[in-house]
Parts: sequence; structure tokens; C-alpha cells
Amino acid sequence: MIFGRKNRKPITIPKKEVAEWKYSTCNYCSTGCAIEIGLDKEGKVVTSRGHAGADVNRGKLCIKGLLETELFESDGRGTEPLIRDKYHEDFKTTSWDHALDHTAEKIKEIQGKYGRDSFAVISTGQLLTEEFYTLGKLVRGCIGTNNYDGNTTLCMASAVSGYKRSFGSDGPPGCYGDFEHTDCFMAFGSNLPEQHPVIYWRLKEAKEKRNFPIIVVDPRVTMFAQFADIHLPITPGTDCVLLNAMMYVIFDEGLEDQAYLEAHTNNLEELKEVVAKYDPKSAQHICGIDEDRIRMVARIYAKAGAAMSIWTMGINQSTHGSDGVANINNLNLVTGNIGKPGGTSLSITGQCNAMGTREWSSCSGLPGYRALEKPEHREEIANYWGIDPSFFPEKRGLAQTDIFPAIETGEIKGLWLIATNPMTSMANTPRIRKMMEKLEFLVVQDCYKDVETNEYSHVFFPASVWAEKEGCHTNTERRVSITRNAMKPHANSKPDFWVFNQMAKRFDNGKVIRFPEKPEEAFDEMKHLSKGENRILDISGMTYDKIEAARGIQWPFRESDEGLKGEARLYTDGKFQTPNGKANLIAVNFFNNNEQPCGEYPFWLNSGRVVEHFHTRTRTGKIGNCNKFSPTPFMEMNPDAAEELNIQHQQYVRLTSRRGDAVVMVQLTQRVPRNMVFIPFHYYDCVNRLSLGLLDPHSRQPAFKQCSVRVEPVDQAEAARLNAERRTF
Amino acid sequence: MFTVKNIYMQATDKESSGVSMVYPDAKKNDENSKLAALKEQGEKSSLWEIRTEEQDYAFLPQTDHENENRYGQKIDLVDLTGLPENRSMFINENPEVGCNPDRNKQHGFFFTADNCIGCHACEAACSEKNDNPAHLAFRSVGYVEGGSFPDYKRMNISMACNHCDDPVCLKGCPTKAYTKHAEYGAVLQDPETCFGCGYCTWVCPYNAPQLDPIQGQVSKCNMCVDRLEVGLKPACVSACLGNALDFGVIEDVPENREQAKVSIPGFPDPSITRPNIRFQQTTTMPDEMQRTDSMPVKYHKDEKGNYKPVVDQKQGKATHWNFTRLSSAENPLVLFTLSAQASIGAFALPFIGAELNIPAMMTFKASALYVPFNIFCFGMIFFGLFMSTLHLGKPLRFYRGFNNLQHSPVSREGLGIAVFMTMLAFNIACSLPANTWVMEMAAAIVGQDLVDYVPVELAATMATVFAYLALPASLAGLYYMNKCYRIPARPFWDHWQVGTSFFGNTLSLGAFLAGASMAAYAVFTEGQTQLIFTIAGSVMLLGMVAEAIGLSGHSKSMNAAEHEGAAAHYIQSTTFGKSYVLRNVVMALNILLVAVLLISDVSGTAALVLWAIAGSLLIFTALVSRALFYVLVIPTTMPGAFFWKNKGFEQHARDIGLANMPQVGVVPDGH
Repeated sequence: MIFGRKNRKPITIPKKEVAEWKYSTCNYCSTGCAIEIGLDKEGKVVTSRGHAGADVNRGKLCIKGLLETELFESDGRGTEPLIRDKYHEDFKTTSWDHALDHTAEKIKEIQGKYGRDSFAVISTGQLLTEEFYTLGKLVRGCIGTNNYDGNTTLCMASAVSGYKRSFGSDGPPGCYGDFEHTDCFMAFGSNLPEQHPVIYWRLKEAKEKRNFPIIVVDPRVTMFAQFADIHLPITPGTDCVLLNAMMYVIFDEGLEDQAYLEAHTNNLEELKEVVAKYDPKSAQHICGIDEDRIRMVARIYAKAGAAMSIWTMGINQSTHGSDGVANINNLNLVTGNIGKPGGTSLSITGQCNAMGTREWSSCSGLPGYRALEKPEHREEIANYWGIDPSFFPEKRGLAQTDIFPAIETGEIKGLWLIATNPMTSMANTPRIRKMMEKLEFLVVQDCYKDVETNEYSHVFFPASVWAEKEGCHTNTERRVSITRNAMKPHANSKPDFWVFNQMAKRFDNGKVIRFPEKPEEAFDEMKHLSKGENRILDISGMTYDKIEAARGIQWPFRESDEGLKGEARLYTDGKFQTPNGKANLIAVNFFNNNEQPCGEYPFWLNSGRVVEHFHTRTRTGKIGNCNKFSPTPFMEMNPDAAEELNIQHQQYVRLTSRRGDAVVMVQLTQRVPRNMVFIPFHYYDCVNRLSLGLLDPHSRQPAFKQCSVRVEPVDQAEAARLNAERRTF
Repeated sequence: MFTVKNIYMQATDKESSGVSMVYPDAKKNDENSKLAALKEQGEKSSLWEIRTEEQDYAFLPQTDHENENRYGQKIDLVDLTGLPENRSMFINENPEVGCNPDRNKQHGFFFTADNCIGCHACEAACSEKNDNPAHLAFRSVGYVEGGSFPDYKRMNISMACNHCDDPVCLKGCPTKAYTKHAEYGAVLQDPETCFGCGYCTWVCPYNAPQLDPIQGQVSKCNMCVDRLEVGLKPACVSACLGNALDFGVIEDVPENREQAKVSIPGFPDPSITRPNIRFQQTTTMPDEMQRTDSMPVKYHKDEKGNYKPVVDQKQGKATHWNFTRLSSAENPLVLFTLSAQASIGAFALPFIGAELNIPAMMTFKASALYVPFNIFCFGMIFFGLFMSTLHLGKPLRFYRGFNNLQHSPVSREGLGIAVFMTMLAFNIACSLPANTWVMEMAAAIVGQDLVDYVPVELAATMATVFAYLALPASLAGLYYMNKCYRIPARPFWDHWQVGTSFFGNTLSLGAFLAGASMAAYAVFTEGQTQLIFTIAGSVMLLGMVAEAIGLSGHSKSMNAAEHEGAAAHYIQSTTFGKSYVLRNVVMALNILLVAVLLISDVSGTAALVLWAIAGSLLIFTALVSRALFYVLVIPTTMPGAFFWKNKGFEQHARDIGLANMPQVGVVPDGH
């Protein structure tokens, strides 16, 4: 008898005694999942869970979100401000006052010596929106450098640029709810199950309820590609050719939405003229997708009642990223799929608050999608802040990817890095390392003092992680969601909001411009600035309490709006943010400036994410239950290619490119083609020692995913030692 | 094909052929109202806090269920066991009885392999809920893959405990740490009872029990019975992002699912334990599915469409020595089994020989050397048991090893060996009065002859009685020692050669040790050396031949097999190829040597030297064989991933020091 026992054995299951649940929004990717953080009586975090009532995630979380509880206790956090004269000296602990004073002095000194723009500020997509807005005030209004940008240039700049070119404004026009209405779903260079698993789940739920075709364009057989109804394994960097050929078929067969095109678009003839050069017969040889499939996919897409496209870094991170986005917009305009349920052009953003920085940080302009180039915008903001409009530059300065080369040329002498780690994240890190050495003054502001870039800093500001602060995020579908302050900052770390406020006090304009103490007061300023006729980015109807009650509100949500629901879609009326209110069709000519595989470097080098890690692993690398799934760098390689080179599974190899070298462990799999290798980008001293990162002419976003490498055998013991040495967390 | 859908349909047909007709809408309404009632009750429970606005996907559906599972066993566990309803599970000592109306039905997981994206959400939700450190996981996702770019397919498999109908873990556990509950049919384990022998991790085909080398105990999936009690699905299921993992009363096919198979590529033979898991896997997979972990196993589709494990020659065909790698964490068990077998054999030979009136043996038994010899045998068995205790995660709990005599071969083996040791000790004690050395020494100490005070005759009789009792106990111990390794989940072991090896080594090692002692005594007393050589040598030869026949049969079976045993044999022939061949050659030559010694008339010093050589070679081959036996075994575990649950990476991480960082999820050596 196997059931029961005479003596009962205890059943012990860890019980988390939660005294209070705090509402929060996950701080990893842009999905915008609502999380509840469970605190015990002492205010200590004991657990976390997805909020079942939030529309975005409906209780679900991905591995990273599920393990957020482990974050607060993780190693490597910054505890005190640090300071040193030279980057090769040891840090000394210092007070916040001294660290801030010293930094302000150095900024002024450098600006005084080399000009206002010689000090640059690079921010992120990881802060809260109120912090972005405050940083914008500080940099644009007080410090006054024009070389101010975010690391969002590495991920979403092409989407921003493409949206602006097509629709006259940034802002993804669709939402997750579109999955429930679409009749055809097409993903370009997006691996949802790995990168945005919760969005994938929303898609899967929709598809299980009501079947519709999923088409995935990806050079690799990802799980998404495998589960798609149609997988198009495209040649890297040729998406525009595929899109042009699809539009060729659509025009050729008269499948376009003529009425929509006439009513709501500009430049149709120009587009037709260019597209006419891309018949599928010749396009197939460039993009690697056969003629039949191009025609079939074009027909399915055009004939669908509503069709939508999503894309991520496969499009954005290329030399024609902005063009790629514009071309996806073209496809959707041509088929009349903008602003209708299930018909949209939805970029899937990377960082949790990439949208917040795009909207409010003033990185590429002024708050609320305002442009430096427009005198009325400069005046409006200067008046509101109480400063002279002439303090603002008349056009945008350098993008993040141009700031680094400007260090190389000596134009920029000082840099403030906020929550970004270029020593791991930038293409061609050997070059970045030399730039870092050249800086006269580098401030690194981060939650983690072991962030690799800190190697070169002169001052380190320890920042608080998201739930130690309060404020908002905006997600991929324009939904503003709130993070309530759940706990005190770790050790002597401070919220970024506080750091910016304190720094402002040390500049002349900081005494003129109001820097409120509370994030919600900054939010009120943003609300004020978001009002205005024809303004799509309108958050004036929101308050923190309303946002929490609604578990996120999509903008536009105007003061006059009732209830708790913002607008699900933009451009539903066919009116765009362009001068004549019509969307621009942008004819895209394909050019090929990628470094291609050749005799010397015979493999395409592709890079991307794994689900268990976020960005440069500063957080997930310390959370064992995430990190254990990929604790060291690895490379997917085709077994047939490996056999030719006598390379075995689970061995180390050395890769070389025209930039540098890297050592990785080989995972042989037929998931990648014979002439391509794939390496996750999360690891320090790895893929970006090899990458080229040619810049997109419009967005200045680097082409991380297209360059060529050689693979060679390496002494296994030496490689193992190197691998261990490079993994200090 | 036999699918649950068929049963389900038939059952529905039966119902509908009855008096009342149930309309689908009415049925759905009924289900919904049952669910609403359950939610309302669940909200009030103190067993688990249901999230505000919890979604329907998290709740167990309130549908109709089958009466019997596909093996004909009742699903209602009250009916099956006769145990009462409404018993509290006392989760965390909370006496509340859960409100789940199906709590007395066997539950199980439902895995739609067509859908799993390998996102680790199930694993993360499980680890978060159970506070598991990185190196432990109650649920793990691995994968198999096949095809050629772009016609490539990967199938992820998420696997935890299957709460089997026939829980081999429960039966194998010597401490009775496992209970199969009439509530949900959950197989739960109490880490506080466990002494960390790890035997459950050997017998489970799915790698469900997790031995924590740091804590020195096992823990495992608890089915989230706290959530089940309030009507919620387990945390892993509720977290699934691919709509792959589901849970419910066994044989229920979830909404929108059309198949319920008991196997998918990479999943072990379900007949071993009758696991409570069902699968949907409708996508056509390539004929050959490979594992990315270091196990030299892949899965090949047979003519019926089922996937069978076959050898994947990942290490190539080159042969190596890897002699140092023969030393493993199982070294204590190598020493335990060999010394126990040697002790049993060595004790038995002179005793039985003397009882059979073989003069040389009678002389030896009657001599003063007999007690020291038996003390030596006792020392060996004591050393063996000590070694096996050291092997435990919590050695101080060794006494719990006899808790499960009802089911566990480990308990029975332990009891047999312990009784043997005790009887041997009594035998030694009772042999003391008849021993001249002892009596002389005692007399010297006490200053008086003790013979008058001790019933010498009675003691001698008792010694014989205890020796007779020791013999069956030792045989039972040996038999169950052999049974311990006849594990279906470890096909390399599950072969009759375990018996020939264990009994063969008992004969050969025992005969050598006893023969050497008796021969030494005979030489010293100018006794019948040759007779001892002949008898002990013959027994030794018999044992060696038995072992050799077993090993040869084993090698033939493994070569022909289509399971993990074949893969283990492949490793034996490649990674350890040279050591393996050396062992075989030495064993064959040694058999020849002993045979020649037995039929030739070599005597004197030459005989002594040659027998000593034969004995040394015997010990060498026995050690190598036993070490290979433990090092080589490849269990029928689930496929791993590239890093996680990949033995090859784990070893590498230990070798290069990565394992010293806890977040790598590999426990470093030295625990």
C-alpha cells in the first residue's frame, strides 16, 4: 500500500508572509508588465507576482520578472559615491555633496575650457519618466550641452526615425489588443518568445482563440520562426528588398487600398516608381526568399481584412534601419493597415522606458516630442521653465553613437553616463576602450558599481533600482504605468531623480528653473506640457492614482477624457502629424554597405538576446536562477560548417573580425545557416569586440547584426581560463 | 491508437445515451457556476492567497472527469484506497481542509510539446515559490532538436515530478521520506526525514528528486498542493507563456487540445512508473532528434513512429585511458560493495569448509588464528558500512536506513548486512573462550585461568549458531544489494551481470582472502597447503568465471541495446576504452593463471608467489570493474539544455572554477 502513512510526514512549503503588496511595473523590457512586490511586516521584499488585473500581462511574467525578488539582494550594488583623480587609481569613498560639487566643478571647467558642448551626457531607457524629464531640464536647461542622447540610439532610434519620417511623429500607433483583431501577422527581425515572452503569450492567446497566419522574417530558426505558419529565412540586411518586392506584387496585382492611399498619403507615385524596380524575380536573388513565397506572402498580407507588422532589432539595428521602418509603414499604408483594429505598424521596443525617454527626456529635442529645430517649441519650453530661449541650441547635437567618435577626435572631453554600459553594449568595444581612456572626466551613474564601464570613471554615483524610487514607465503600446516606491534606497544609493535635482542646484539656471522635490510634481509639469491641440502625446488626464487604478493608461489621455482608458490606437482618423496631415510614403532604395562574408572572414556574425538575460547582465548576471541558463558566452554554429573546421560541440573557439577577437563556447545547431554564427550580446568582452556597427544615415543606430568573422580553433585550456577570468559575475 | 480522446468520447456517449441529455451550453454554464463557487471559497482560504482579479487560466477547470485512468486504475483516490475524504493535508501544519472539490482525484500535468518556447517561466515560477537556490530545480526545461537549416525543429520539454501511479522513489527510499497522498495523488517527500542517500534520484526516470549536495538532502516538486487546495493550478502552469503546460485531473484533455499521449521523443518509457503526465505532440518531428547536452544519446523514430534512444557517438570513436576519472563521488560505494562482498565470502569459506569436515579448514577453524581472521572479516564489513554511511548526505541519520523494509531494497540490503555484521560479532564473542591465545592472554591479565568460569562448550555451540545465522543474513544482504542496482531507469545496471559480479566477487575475493589466511597458517604449521590452494583456488576461479560470463553477457546486451545502457557502454568503449580493454585482458589472463595453477603441480614458494600475483590482479580487476560500473551508468533522465542540466558543462564549470560563483548554478567539488 503506497498511499498514506501511519505517521504523518509534515508538508512544508515556503510561505511568504506578505503584509503589503506594492504596485509596480517591471523594469526590464518594454512590455510593461504590472508587478506586485510583496513586503513583510518589516518592509522587506519577500516575493513578487504578476498583477492578474493588469491588461498588459494579465498576471503573467517572464523569467526575469518572476525573479525580480532576487534582485534586491544581489551583489555588486553601489553603496557610496566614489571618487578618484585618474581612472587607473583606486577609488575613494566620498560624500554625495563632495561627489556632486566635484562633478559640477569639472563640468564647468571642461565647458569653460573647451566650449559648452565638450561635455556630453548619455542617458538610457531604464530610468523613470519623471527622471528623464528632470534630466532633460538639467542638461538642456542648466548644463547646456547639445551633446546629450540616450542609449536608446542602440535600440529604438530607427523606429523613432522611421515613424517620424512616415507619420510626422514618433509613437507606435498600435497596441497588443490588435492581436485579437488581426487576420495576418507579420514579424520582421523579432524573436518575441525570447525577447518579449509576455507579448508572445498575448499573441498566442489570440491565435488559440481565433486562428490567423503568422509570418516570421528571421535569418535564424528561432522558436518563433519554427512555430510560425510561414518562416522566411532572409539574407541579413535585405529586408527592404523583400518589402519592396512585396509591394511590387501588391501594386502589380492591384491589391493596394487605393482609397486609403489617395485620402491619407503623400508620394504614392514616387513609391510606385522605386518599387517597380524590385520584381520578385530579381529580388529573390538578393533577399534569399524565393519568388513564389514573396508573391504568396504579399497576397496574404494585402488580402487580409486587417494585417499588422511588428519588428524589433532585426530591422532597427541595420544600416537601413530607418528605411526599413519606413518601408514597413509603407506596406501598411499601401494596404490600408494603419489605425484600425488588427492593422498596424507596431515597433516592439527594447528597454522598459525607451518610450519615456523618447517622449520626455529632451535627448533628441525638447519634452513632449518637441523639436529644437522649431523656434516656437524652444520658446514654449524656455518660457515654461523660466529661462532664455537662446540658451537652447537651434538644432539637435550629436547622437549617442556620434558622441563616442567625438571623444576620439577630441571634441568631447567629459562624459556623464547614466544607467548605460558602453564597454559591453557598444559595437567595436576595442575602439570604445581607447575613447574611454581619453576622457578627462567621466561620471558613471549606475545601480551597480561593478558595471564594466566604471573601470574608466572618475566619479561614481550609486543609484537606486526602480522599486526604490517612484515614477512612471511608458511601454511599447504607449501605456503609462506606475512604479510605487516599495522600499528605501539600498545603502547610500539615491534615486536618479534626487541626483539630478541636487546637480541642478549647482548650476546657475538650476536656481531659476523649478526642480520639484517629488516625482509626481514633475509629472504634473509633463502633463501641463502635453496639453495642446493636435498633440497626440497628451497625458494631461492622468494622475498617479488613476494610473494605478487602471493598471496603466495609454496616451493620448486628455484632461477631458472620462473613465480610465486612453486611446488604444493612433491615426484612427487617418490624420497624421505631418504638415498636410497625410502620411508620407517613403521610397526606399536598397543599398548594400554591409561587411559581407568573404574568403578571409567567411561567416555572418548575428547577435541577439536570450530570454534569461537583460542587456549587459549587470542585473541578471547576478540572479542565479536567471544566469544559470547561460552563465558564459556561447555561439550557435551550424554543425556542417563546424565539421569542415574540425570544431566540436561545447568546445571553445576564437573568433576574429577586422576589429578584434573573442572567445566563445560553441553550441552546434542547425538553427543557424552554414554561413552564419549567432552570439548573444549580453556578455562583457565578447560579441562587441568583433562587431562593426555601421551607422544608419537617418537614425545613427548601429548595424550590430551585420558583419563578418572568422572562426578558428583555440587551445582549450587557455580559452577556458580566459572565459573564467572574464566572468567576474 | 489508444488515446484519451477516445475514452473521453465513449464516456460522454455513455452518459448521453442515458435518461437525461446534457446540452453543451448547459454543461458550460454548470462548469462556470462551479468555478465561481470555487473561487468564492478559495478567496477565504488561509492556505494560499489568491491574487486580486485572478485570471481563469490559473484556476483548475470544473469539468467532468474519467473514472479510471488508461491503465484501469481508479482516478478517485478515496475509492481506490478506502481512505477517508476531507482529511487535512496539514500543509505547514495548517489544519484547514482545502475547498477543491476534486482534491481526492489523481491529478497530473498536461504538456503540449507543440507549444513550448523554452522561456523558463515555469522553472522561474517554481524556484521563486519554493525559494530554491540556483543549483536546484524542481522543474527543468531541456530540449531535443533535429533537421537541417532551415528545416530545423527543436522540441523543448518541461519536466518536473510526475506523481506516478507506481512511485519508484517512494518504494526505493530507505527512510520512508515519501508519501503518496490520497489528496491529488501527490507524491510528496519530507526533506527532514531524508538522509541524503540519493537512491530516489537513481530510480526516478525523470530526474524529479533533487539531491542537494550542500544541504545533504533531497527535495522535490510538491505539486503546489497549497495552490491546489484553493482551486489554483500549480505555479509553473500558471506562469506558462507558451500555453504548453497545463494541469488537471488525470486523463482530462484540456480545452483546445486534441491528443493525450503518454510519450514524446526524449521521454523515458512510461511503463516504468506509470507517470501522471499526458502529452500533445502533433507536429511532425525529424526522424532523428539529438540532445544538446553531453549525454551520448539521441532518439530515433521507429516504424511505429515512436522515438527510441540510441547511441550518439559524441565522443567519436577514439579510445582513451581516463584512468583517474575512474575515481568518482561514488568511491565510497565502490569500497562498500567490494569490502562487504569480500567479507561475506571470506567468512563463509572456512566456516562452511570446516562444517563440511574438510580437514585443512577444520584445523584452521580450530586454531587460535580463526578469531583474528573473523575480526578481520568484521573489520571489512564495518569499514564497508562506514563507507556507505559516509556516502550519505546526513551520515548521522544512518539509522533511518531500515525504515522502509516494506518496499526498499536499500533497507533490506542494509538490514541483511547489519544482521550479518551483528551475527559475526556475536560469533567472534562466543568464539573467544575456545581460543587459546585469548584465554592465555586473559589468564595473564587476570592472573587466573578463566576456563573454569566460562562455559566453553556452550560458547562454542553458540558461536556456530551465530555463524549459521550470519550466513543467510549475508546472502539476503547480497541479494538485495544486487536488487538495489536492478533499476529500470538505469538500463546499464539493470542486467543480470550485477548478480554475477556481486556473487562472483563474494566468491573470488572471499576465497582469496580466506585462502591466503589459511594457506599462511598451513605454511606456518606445515599443514595441507596444497589442499587449501585447490579448494580456495577453485572457489576463486568459480567467482572469477561467473563475473567474466556476466560481463561478457552484459557487453553483448549493451551492444545490441537501444537505450541509455548502450550509450554507457559506448562511453566504456571510448572514453574509458583503453582501461576497459586492460581490465578485460587482465581478467582473462588471471582466469587462465588460476586455472593453470589449479591443474599444474606448482608448489612451494613458486605457488605462493603465483597465487599472490593472481590475488593482486583479482583485486585490481575488481576495483576497476566496480569503478566503471558506477562511473558509466547513464540514467534515463530527460534531455538537458546547453548549460543547465548538462553534465558536460557542469564538469567543465567545476574544472575551470566557474562553479565557485553560485549564480552559475553548479555546485563546486568538495561538497
